[in-house]
Amino acid sequence: LPQPPTTLTDEFGIALSNLADAAVAPFTPTLRLGVTGLSRAGKTIFITALIHNLTTGGRLPGFAAMTEGRFIGARLAEHPDQGVPRFAYEQHLKALTGNPAAWPESTRKISQIRLQLKFQSQRWTRGWQGPTVLNLDIVDYPGEWLLDLPLLSLSYGEWSAQAIRRAELPHSGGAADAFLNALRTADEQAEANEPDAERLAASFSEYLRASREDGALSTLPPGRFLMPGDLEGSPALTFAPLPGPTGAARSSSLYAMMERRYEAYKSLVVRPFFRDHFARLDRQIVLVDTLRALNAGPAAVADLETALTDILACFRQGDNNVLTRLVARRIDRILFAATKADHIHSSSHDRLEGLMNRLVAQAARRAKFAGATTKSIALAAIRATRESVVEEHEVIVGTPRAGEVLDGATYDGKTEVALFPGDLPADPDRLLTAPVALNFLRFEPPAKLEKNAEGNVVLPHIRFDRAIDFLLGDWLR
Amino acid sequence: MKPPFARPVDPETGEVTAERRPRAFAPEAAPVPEVIEVLTDDAVVVDAEVAEPPRLTSWLGRIVWIAGGLLVSLALGLATERLVSDLFATQPWLGWVAVALVVVLVVALVAIVIREAASLMRLRALDRLRAEAGRVIETDDNAKGKAIAAELLGIYGGRADLARAREALDSNGRHVFDGAEHVRLAERLLMAPLDARARALTAASARRVALVTTVSPRALVDIAFVVFESVRLGGDIARLYGARPGVVGTWRLVGAILAHLAVTGGLVLTDGVVEQLLGQGLAAKLSARLGEGVVNGLMTVRVGIAAMRVVRPLPFVAVKQPMVKDFIPELGNVLAKTER
Repeated sequence: LPQPPTTLTDEFGIALSNLADAAVAPFTPTLRLGVTGLSRAGKTIFITALIHNLTTGGRLPGFAAMTEGRFIGARLAEHPDQGVPRFAYEQHLKALTGNPAAWPESTRKISQIRLQLKFQSQRWTRGWQGPTVLNLDIVDYPGEWLLDLPLLSLSYGEWSAQAIRRAELPHSGGAADAFLNALRTADEQAEANEPDAERLAASFSEYLRASREDGALSTLPPGRFLMPGDLEGSPALTFAPLPGPTGAARSSSLYAMMERRYEAYKSLVVRPFFRDHFARLDRQIVLVDTLRALNAGPAAVADLETALTDILACFRQGDNNVLTRLVARRIDRILFAATKADHIHSSSHDRLEGLMNRLVAQAARRAKFAGATTKSIALAAIRATRESVVEEHEVIVGTPRAGEVLDGATYDGKTEVALFPGDLPADPDRLLTAPVALNFLRFEPPAKLEKNAEGNVVLPHIRFDRAIDFLLGDWLR
Repeated sequence: MKPPFARPVDPETGEVTAERRPRAFAPEAAPVPEVIEVLTDDAVVVDAEVAEPPRLTSWLGRIVWIAGGLLVSLALGLATERLVSDLFATQPWLGWVAVALVVVLVVALVAIVIREAASLMRLRALDRLRAEAGRVIETDDNAKGKAIAAELLGIYGGRADLARAREALDSNGRHVFDGAEHVRLAERLLMAPLDARARALTAASARRVALVTTVSPRALVDIAFVVFESVRLGGDIARLYGARPGVVGTWRLVGAILAHLAVTGGLVLTDGVVEQLLGQGLAAKLSARLGEGVVNGLMTVRVGIAAMRVVRPLPFVAVKQPMVKDFIPELGNVLAKTER
């Protein structure tokens, strides 16, 4: 039987927080947007672009509230939770619009931000009192940590079995050998001692890091082993999977100690992370970097599918009504977004969306059954390329990042090329079974950005406005 | 010399599947054209809104009409020729005046015919555009969506009141990648201000009808006024949305509006039937004439809505279609005014 992801105390706390929210909702409602995505999926870019577009009145033609003139504006507000760092919007924007422009660095810590949106409601219940204010809370975090959420419902034995099986898979390659050797020499029934535990944990995390380096593997929990944050070296991070003992393990054995530490990891690290940031979401956008997985091959695509399905199972999805919202908030709209849509020509966007549908099919089915509305689109929060046609090839024109390789040519991050990344097959299943000739390069951010009348840069994008409309539109009616 | 290559063949269809390898080109080879093609193909459009008038005449009847028409034309031509030659016989300068008048008449007639034809074509273009937009909303075809937006920009190209909206549509449309989104954007930017003005026209018309019905001494007067107001309202709304109905155009338009009312009559009736009954009941309590006025006013509202649906070049998708009940407060104003 899978364990519930939260304890009874957690549930009580969550319900109380929801009640407190419901009490102030008639005056200033708060919408929690869950920006979900594995590492390098584009969470930070998405949040930066969202804040910039809303606060400066960017070009969002598909965002109905703005096009119809009901959206008055947005500003950054102080987040009520003082214990978490603020999302470094200004730094990220500076990096993006600097000279030379650069993508923000990968996120290492959790951070959050609150946006206040002001709009004129069409409904007479709200509209008569003038403009309405809506708080929009967003959290940014390292994508690796998301991999931990499925652990909440796994016991140590189950997780160990999964992790060892995955290490033994052929595509794990040489990265896992050292760890498997260490595992063979270890005796799980032996008396627990710290050096043994440290040795095992070190080789395990070494294996996780190495396999992430040489592939796009997405299913590598525990995530803190990849991005430890401020827990580096603590006992809760010093464990490794062990094959289950034949009999009952003594409480002083290595196995029992590892099990205790795994449980401690869950209750000290994973559960608070989930409880504080994911248990009370209203809307969710799932950002998926499908192109990176496609570059790495069918195994990585299949991996990505498993990871997404496991992670999305942890979220509370379903429809809300007035009464259930008081104590139990659920995610009633989920947007599955294939990010970096600017890396392929717009004529292939339909196929990219098809692949996205295929990858999240299970998760979407479950969400729909629970009563949530889902949609999938191909988007680029910031568009780094232009489109063109060369010799009947639909190409994208942009500057590949330094070190990107295609056809033996290595790019220096300054030359502009017209890239034809290959045809996405019409049937997404082929991408999960056999290798397809595809090569997506990563591009530098757009160099010359337009400015609007107020002197703010206008960030180009693809379907970002539709994403915002889907996620926030009905709250701004 | 081109390098040899092998291409896979699809086992199901037997066709060569164009599987293209990833490639990089020099940027000079890549022109960045943003040319928007305008829809020119006149595909067979199912004319849902402007229904074909029933054919009353068989081919025999048509022969009678054509022969009769030719005879009348011959008679007119002969009479004119006689008149001119008679005038030449009495006074040569009178003859020249008559010739000049005939030329002016012919030129004016041709001009009228051309204008009528243009107005009919415009009505048809709006119809086709609406059907096309409905399809694009379904299929999400990017090129066609772009073409629809471009065509709308052409239709409203000379309108001063839509200058800002046109500019916004043009600049934003470049960053849209979905056909349906193009149509929705055009509707929000171009149609929404026109809708608001069409609503105002309808409301004003309904108020006038209600007022005239209430105070007019004879039933015949208010029937005539309702007909006059309805035709005028239909023409005004058509002009607002970019149709330029002439005589024949107006005739077609009135026919289309009536047909639309006949088709959707039951539908529109259920919308706000409660309000109608309430309004009629309440108003009728105050005075029987006032009750009739309200009913006639609502009738005019329905004509206005039908006219909007018939001439609007885009279907109601992103913008809500006005309903009869939205106009009840307007008529309430009339009541307040008339009671004072």
